[in-house]
Amino acid sequence: MAPAESTRLARRIAIVGIGETRYQRQAARPLMALLLEAARAALADAGLAARDVDGIVAPGTSYAELHELARELGVRAQFFNAAGYSGGAAVVSAPLLAALAVDAGLASTVLCVRGLAWGTERQGNVGQLHAEMPMKAAFEIPFGWYPQIVYFAGMARRHMELYGTTETQLGEVAVAFRRHAALGDNALLRDKPLTLEQYLAEPYLAEPFRASDCCLVNDGAGAFVMVDRERAHDLCQPPVTVLGVGAGVSEEGEFASLRADYLATAAVHSAPRAFAMAGLAPDDVDLVTLYDNFTSMVIQQLEDMGFCRRGEGGPFVAGGRIALGGALPVNPSGGQLAQAFMLSMNNLCETVRQLRGTAGARQVEGADVGLVAGYSGSEHATLLLGRG
Amino acid sequence: MATAPEIAERHLPDPEWPVAHVFWEGCRVGELRIPRCRDCSRWVWYPASACPGCGGARHEWTRVSGRGRLFTWVRVHRAFLPGYKERVPFVTALVELEEDPRVRLATFLRDAPPGGLRAGLPVEVTFETVNERLTLPMFRCVAGGRSQPEV
Repeated sequence: MAPAESTRLARRIAIVGIGETRYQRQAARPLMALLLEAARAALADAGLAARDVDGIVAPGTSYAELHELARELGVRAQFFNAAGYSGGAAVVSAPLLAALAVDAGLASTVLCVRGLAWGTERQGNVGQLHAEMPMKAAFEIPFGWYPQIVYFAGMARRHMELYGTTETQLGEVAVAFRRHAALGDNALLRDKPLTLEQYLAEPYLAEPFRASDCCLVNDGAGAFVMVDRERAHDLCQPPVTVLGVGAGVSEEGEFASLRADYLATAAVHSAPRAFAMAGLAPDDVDLVTLYDNFTSMVIQQLEDMGFCRRGEGGPFVAGGRIALGGALPVNPSGGQLAQAFMLSMNNLCETVRQLRGTAGARQVEGADVGLVAGYSGSEHATLLLGRG
Repeated sequence: MATAPEIAERHLPDPEWPVAHVFWEGCRVGELRIPRCRDCSRWVWYPASACPGCGGARHEWTRVSGRGRLFTWVRVHRAFLPGYKERVPFVTALVELEEDPRVRLATFLRDAPPGGLRAGLPVEVTFETVNERLTLPMFRCVAGGRSQPEV
């Protein structure tokens, strides 16, 4: 459980602006241009200007990139800057850093921006980060245990062995998210419908995974703006309150192959912290956006976060239960499997739209509470957002 | 930082890397060796400066039986590294050692039984010589082995 004092950050800030670029396989523009476009869009959405920004969380940027971003954007304040976790956990835990800064009086308007140009930069080599780890280079890669698709296929296989999870259930995740992607105008696989039969007919890449089990590789950027909740009602958009946010780490560090509880992500730590801060339980959540780097991770996180018990994730996602109109809609934008791989940024922006009630054809009726999850190897973050 | 193509080609370990030198030396003479804490006897895998059990710093490379069980596996159909183009499809796996199931080794899996793979199948180490400097430990399924249901 989270320490009791962290509840003082519950409902302390709100998300008042979001912005996203077009998501593309290859953008033909530098990453900095994408970051700037997303940041400007988020500020404009909030009705704020760069001169209002006095806090920046820009995961993945270097020293030089951070200051180019701030200068080009027009930030002139002595700005607060913080960097936390990595990957999806960094984006989803950014509101924790912002709430701390606002609560401490260090910042009033915090911009979080994250982009990726892996479509351009990492053709055929998405595992580079792992290849650079000496233990993996010595004891895993020489034996074919590489890259990410193999790590997560190994977990999926273990889940199937222990709990009887099926390939059809993995396929249900892929099919649901693909259907969601068709309902938006900024999803890479919008025009690529997928049936369960088509899914099962795809060749294996790393059994039990097929291409449709894997996230996209693309270019793009997204951003969101956070302010003191007291200020939020004076701005342009219906505010979305940060009800609770938690981060956690797996005790064994980065080596998933050695995890004592092999199938547990650090969501087992981050979710109870976020729920405790918000004073909520999984039953209170109307929609969730999970870190969907692979289909099986949706099942694992639903279990880790308490939406169902360990081993029950397969049946939980079956029969359209996680599709729009189902019992618990998951990743209504199509997520990282069907919209774009944006380290949870696209999922966070979609959750904000859902809680504003502006998600159009994808709108979850009566959405009051949304959950966003971000993952990065040994890290996980859970964010609970509320309408109003 | 190495360039992307260099990393993509790098799929054999450096047997001279001081952290793992004794491991590869053992493989060359047909022994599977894992570091073990001299203070609390816990196996320290991967090699680390501090024992995960007691934090002790005195570790001794110790020969293990080479027997274990299949923990999970992946049949890989697409070569994710250029060096694996001639190998696909292959089965890469994690095996847990008889001495302590918390010690899991990644391996190529040999001699899959006709009835298919199951978690818990018994496996044993076998060594494959790559060149005079390097021998890789592999695991093979033990004939007639049955998987043990897990708790």
